Amino acid sequence: MNKNKFKNLFKRKIVVLDGAMGTELQKRGMPVGVCPEIWCLENPHVIEEIHGEYVQSGADVVYTCTFGANRLKLGQYNVSNVVEMNRELALLARRAVGKKGLVAGDMGPTGQFIEPFGDLGFEEAIGIFKEQVQGFIEGGVDLFAVETMMDIQEARAALIAVREMTDMFTIVTMTYEKDGRTLNGTDPVTALITLQSLGADAVGCNCSTGPEEMVPLIAAMKPYATVPLVAKPNAGIPELIGNSTVFTMGAKEFAAYSMEFISRGVNVVGGCCGTTPDHIRELKETVAGKKPMAPVRKSVSAVCSSRKTVVFEKDRPLRIIGERINPTGKKTLQEELLQGRLSRVRQLAREQEKAGADLLDVNVSVSGIDEEKKMKEVINTLATSSTVPLVIDSANSNAIEAALRVYPGRALINSITGEKKKIENLIPVAAKYGAMFILLPLTDRGVPETADERKEIIRSVYDKARLYGFTKDDIIVDGLVMTVASNPEAPMETMKTVEWSSRYFKCNTLLGLTNISFGMPQRKWLNGAYLAMAVERGLTVAIANPGEEEFMNVKAASDLLSNRDKDAFIYLKRFAGVPQGERRDASRKGEVPIDEIYHAIIEGNREDIESVLERAVKEEESAEKLVNDCMIPAITKVGKLFDSKEYFLPQLIASAEAMKRGLAYLDPYLRKAQSEQRQKGCILIATVKGDVHDIGKNIVALMLNNQGFDVVDLGKDVSAEVIIEEARRTHPDIIALSALMTTTMVNMKKIIDTVRQEGLGCSFMVGGAVVTASYAEEIKAAYARDGVEAVRVAELLARKARGE
Amino acid sequence: MGYRNGVTRIEEERKREIEDAIEYARSLIHLTGAAVRIPIEEIGQFNIVLSKGIVFNSRGLARMLKGCAEALLMGATAGKEIMEAIDNDSKTNRLTRGVILDAVASEMVDDSLDWIADYFNGQLRRENRRLTKRRFSAGYGDFLLENQKIMYDVLELGTLGVELTESFMLVPQKSVTAVAGIMG
Repeated sequence: MNKNKFKNLFKRKIVVLDGAMGTELQKRGMPVGVCPEIWCLENPHVIEEIHGEYVQSGADVVYTCTFGANRLKLGQYNVSNVVEMNRELALLARRAVGKKGLVAGDMGPTGQFIEPFGDLGFEEAIGIFKEQVQGFIEGGVDLFAVETMMDIQEARAALIAVREMTDMFTIVTMTYEKDGRTLNGTDPVTALITLQSLGADAVGCNCSTGPEEMVPLIAAMKPYATVPLVAKPNAGIPELIGNSTVFTMGAKEFAAYSMEFISRGVNVVGGCCGTTPDHIRELKETVAGKKPMAPVRKSVSAVCSSRKTVVFEKDRPLRIIGERINPTGKKTLQEELLQGRLSRVRQLAREQEKAGADLLDVNVSVSGIDEEKKMKEVINTLATSSTVPLVIDSANSNAIEAALRVYPGRALINSITGEKKKIENLIPVAAKYGAMFILLPLTDRGVPETADERKEIIRSVYDKARLYGFTKDDIIVDGLVMTVASNPEAPMETMKTVEWSSRYFKCNTLLGLTNISFGMPQRKWLNGAYLAMAVERGLTVAIANPGEEEFMNVKAASDLLSNRDKDAFIYLKRFAGVPQGERRDASRKGEVPIDEIYHAIIEGNREDIESVLERAVKEEESAEKLVNDCMIPAITKVGKLFDSKEYFLPQLIASAEAMKRGLAYLDPYLRKAQSEQRQKGCILIATVKGDVHDIGKNIVALMLNNQGFDVVDLGKDVSAEVIIEEARRTHPDIIALSALMTTTMVNMKKIIDTVRQEGLGCSFMVGGAVVTASYAEEIKAAYARDGVEAVRVAELLARKARGE
Repeated sequence: MGYRNGVTRIEEERKREIEDAIEYARSLIHLTGAAVRIPIEEIGQFNIVLSKGIVFNSRGLARMLKGCAEALLMGATAGKEIMEAIDNDSKTNRLTRGVILDAVASEMVDDSLDWIADYFNGQLRRENRRLTKRRFSAGYGDFLLENQKIMYDVLELGTLGVELTESFMLVPQKSVTAVAGIMG
């Protein structure tokens, strides 16, 4: 059956799919733990009976029993003839239903994690699904079903596998959790837009929940769907009875939900786990004669990451594409990309996202770099570390294709021009992966100066794109900003292009705004004014640095004044009220320095402690007095707040760091005054051999240092020999040991026994995740639960050593 | 971290700092994981024999796996970069942030085992089976830390950039493994 026949079928009626397979096989004798596909081939009458019953119950489509018939899962049962097995199971389904039903070649997850979470390569996953597709084609299926996908990237791999082998009708359904997202965090609208733009002919959800929970998912998808929607729920939420999972929803109750599905726009219904031929019979009777709701739109102007969708519409606030992931003129970024490090890329992504970027432009073009490889690497990194959709920015067509292939969402290409090669190379690629693109109106002859010339190019590129199925929703026209410094006519020609594209050509528009002020002083004013002018003319997207406050302020004002910011929500959010933290600073004005020092330590204010101490010293406060009468009481108070749980660990550490910084500032003054009061004793501290984690030990060292102990920190994974050697050299008053594991804890005893034998005469203090007070007692050491207690214990041991 | 709901009070500035550090941690953590389903051949009182000649000696684990025909071995890591940042923060007077990074990494890597369990439960549902709610990690109870070597080899954690020290610790430190049973 070709695609048009399918489309007509969906227009005419609600299409009914079959119900559960696994539970039906078990009911008919399949033992637990066997490979269902092998068992079906060994017991063909059983699977034929199930397929037949579903068709007799009214199912228009049955799924082949090939959910796990991929190389990885079959490999666990030592089966290697994957193509043959899928073909045989497809033939079996065909034989069972004859001409009374359609057969869908069914593919489930591979069972392994695809990169970047797992080590299964994306291309390898595509190859695995292609084997199944080959078997289905040989077995004569009518359509394909990719189902129970929890990872959008795996769903993409399966869909690409189908699309690279055949144009046949393909249904893709994802599995959503109770929170309405897949396990990987993809919401239904994002999955829908990603999959329908990649070429899925019907999209929806199956498994996981019962019909009641699935209705809102269909309702959320319908406004954005250009394809029929599918719901294949379980027979309710499973209940655990004894050791068995039981689906309790009866056939009538299950079928009753179909009316709600239809009212929300579903086109295809069926059943998943726990459903039976009875459920499908009831379903068929309920939906018979009901007219399906056609997709409400033919295209959608939206891009998405794996977790977020951004829709472009003229009456919505201006969208900002963060421009900073671009190595041009950025030496640090260039070096990092060349060295293979991506921390700066992630930092730029994080900063821009926080500053309000709706999308991130990604350009990795550096001289001497393998751009195709680097682009893939950066896209894979940002796909997991950032939630906003990406804009693939490159002059290299291969790099763009590589990025689109691995990107787990719908991307925006920056850009396709009227240049012959660009059109030839990139439009088919954009079409294959369903990407949107920025249309940049220039040609092989260069940049046209007037708006009229640009309009011609826009029309011409669009006409070529239409041949590949693109609509005006799929493109964003770049008005092409030239600097006012070189041509005073240029700004208005660009404005005319934006206005014409937006109001007459009726597509979304974009400007790389900051080019306008290149070469001019005080650029922010030109950028801001130009932005306001463009918003008034219908601009939908700007490429800019969202970290520029003035620019983002003008954006907020322009959105409000052009009625894109309904109820002034965004404007008020941006400007209303001063954060509490800033008010606090104001309220402290006029405090005497000693109070400010006290509060700086209580509040962990590491930024201001030095300047406040500087003021205090200038006012001739003695350093010693500041430490003893102000800082020590403050940090002691912090310890009490921590003990009473009013503070938690980060606050304790912030205060301790403020204290440390303060003491370092006062150190020269204390030395000058020859103060010796601070030296409470020497502590040798280490995390024992075998333990490689030492943050707890670092906290204790910081706290002890602040309280006037001279701390010698030997680090982590320190052997007994090194600790003993250091003890001989430094003669500490206390040796403090930390251990994280029971297996390494035993090293504490070894060290303590050896030091005692040598008669070094010091005390011992131990702590760490697995160390208990009773173990400490057993090895004759003092025990401290945390940093605050360590200070108290150390002071007690030091006093004892001094004979106090 | 000692946070107690309703008791711990955090001033705005510190809250912002903590939130920023959490975001920073999230950008540095690259969770990767692996899982393998292995048939159980025999469960004794003190040991479990899995296929491929794998033997675990642990009474607690044997008790947990009682009645299971298969075991799921799983592992995950937060990656190297977060550990470098924690070390760096500890050395450069940014211990406050380091402590938050450390806690976020611990939470996320533990959550990733929950994610793996949910992933497999989603598939097992179709077989009318499910995972045990509990899971065992090497170093827990009588399931000795030495078993980390078996987990490491079976899960091929080396391919995820994880190393095993002589004392059976996983490096990067924010790496975890666990065994669960498949019931039904």
